[in-house]
Amino acid sequence: MELFTPDFGLVFWMFVSFIILFLILWKWGWPVILKGVESRADLIDKGVEYAQQAKEQLDTARQQADKQIAEARQRQAEILREADKMKTQIIEEAREAARKEARKVMDAATISIQQERKEAQSQFRDEVSAFALEIAGKVVRNEMQDQKAQARLVDSLLDQMENQN
Amino acid sequence: MYILTSRPHTTMRKAFSIFLFIFATILASTDVKASADTALNDALTDSLEEKSFDFSTIKDLIFDHLGDGYGWEVPFNHHKRIPLPVILYSSEGGFHCFSSARIEHGHEYTEDGITFKIAPKGHPHQGKVIEVIDGKEYKPWDISITKNVLAVFISSLLVLWMVLSVASWYRRQPLKAPRKTRGAIEELIMFIYDGVIKPTLGANSMRFAPYLITVFLFILVMNLMGLIVIFPGGANLTGNIAVTLVLAIFTFLITNIFGTKHYWKEIFWPDVPMWLKFPLPIMPIIEFFGVFTKPAALTVRLFANMMGGHMIVIVLTLLIFIAAALGGTLLGGATVVISILFSVFMLLLDVLVSFIQAYVFTMLSTLFIALAQDNGHHGKKHEEDVIMTPLPDTSIPMGNHIDDPAIAAGEIFENK
Repeated sequence: MELFTPDFGLVFWMFVSFIILFLILWKWGWPVILKGVESRADLIDKGVEYAQQAKEQLDTARQQADKQIAEARQRQAEILREADKMKTQIIEEAREAARKEARKVMDAATISIQQERKEAQSQFRDEVSAFALEIAGKVVRNEMQDQKAQARLVDSLLDQMENQN
Repeated sequence: MYILTSRPHTTMRKAFSIFLFIFATILASTDVKASADTALNDALTDSLEEKSFDFSTIKDLIFDHLGDGYGWEVPFNHHKRIPLPVILYSSEGGFHCFSSARIEHGHEYTEDGITFKIAPKGHPHQGKVIEVIDGKEYKPWDISITKNVLAVFISSLLVLWMVLSVASWYRRQPLKAPRKTRGAIEELIMFIYDGVIKPTLGANSMRFAPYLITVFLFILVMNLMGLIVIFPGGANLTGNIAVTLVLAIFTFLITNIFGTKHYWKEIFWPDVPMWLKFPLPIMPIIEFFGVFTKPAALTVRLFANMMGGHMIVIVLTLLIFIAAALGGTLLGGATVVISILFSVFMLLLDVLVSFIQAYVFTMLSTLFIALAQDNGHHGKKHEEDVIMTPLPDTSIPMGNHIDDPAIAAGEIFENK
């Protein structure tokens, strides 16, 4: 039957056109397409890889930043605490120093007052004794008759003096 | 990586369903009108008028339609045909070239004292051009551009355009994915490349992919063009044994020319018990026959599948006329409805079959080439991998896969 016997003309033209078709596509068609697809796939692969890397980097960077922030916070708290401590210490020290100074001043003042008083006392005693001597001299001069009366007078004067002080 | 593997499949499905839809629409609108065309109509009206129905005319009509012709029928006109060049190399020597219009409808054409005519019915070269020299008939070498040859050219140009348009896209912007038509074509290419060629051939993919993808696209285009009933489609190309034979021969040549030493050793000194190959070389003989049955299976399966599809549609259309002739108008009218429904269904099925047959031809070619590439280092396991890998990858239901004798045969040859 005709259907089952290949026709020479058709076989011939089929051969010719398929070979031409194949050669053209082999030269100008397939390499470009297959390489294009491959390189595109490579590009996408690379892109995915790059994105993953970038994400990883971002994650680590974020972690580091978080860590640094936490550290900084801690440091800040420490510094604040230290400053607080220092402040109280300084105040304490200043207060202590002031107290010491004050005491020193007070002491010095006390000493000088005592000295002055002593000086004044001795001076006064000197003056009083001089005065008493003067009085005694006057008394002696004016009322040398009554010795008893004189003595009593001297004593009473002296007592007075002492009481006054 | 997930993106890379999932994208082609979803897009592929989308592209393919659009593809199917377009073809289905074209087919549904044209098949009924054009199937009952020209010669078929002529003869049928004759027999209808005579009220005597000759079933041998029906047979002739069917095979007329499946076969080749020197002109290309036009729809709605029973006498005019698109004239095509007839090219002959006379047995007397010398080329003769003339329009097919000169020898149509039984006309004779004389050139340089040689009369050319189409051999009448009953002649051993029925339907072919013969030359009459001094009253004796000879068969010249016939390389006419017949309907089928022109259809081969048209399909080639279509494939060429398809591939080169994608290639030009990649030449201009190599790192961008093509869109729309180009994207659909690229998905077809990558469907075969990623789904069949790469998993089967592995490192050798780039070497054989050009041939295999060309074959796939060429068969697919020829199949689908054959389903469009009017010019430039309608030629029953892949249902013609010459076309499938040439393609199978190419696969055969590539398989055997690029076959490794291990492949030839497996044929002539296979890994079987000694008594199977010496003194009587039983296995080598079987293996050697296997080398030739592989391309034979390729030839016949594509040819038979596609021819069967065409034949069923023609028979369904003819059924209308047969019913009208045998049972009158009422039965004829009822048959019209049923026939049209069935032929639309068959043509839709044929669209699917077109794709599957192109896929299977490519898959088997890949398999045969891959088996000849085995250099024995991987042992038996590799061979099994080769057979198993392409099958689960397909997203298309392979309905007629199981009852396909050629695949079963192919696997038997490989597995022994």
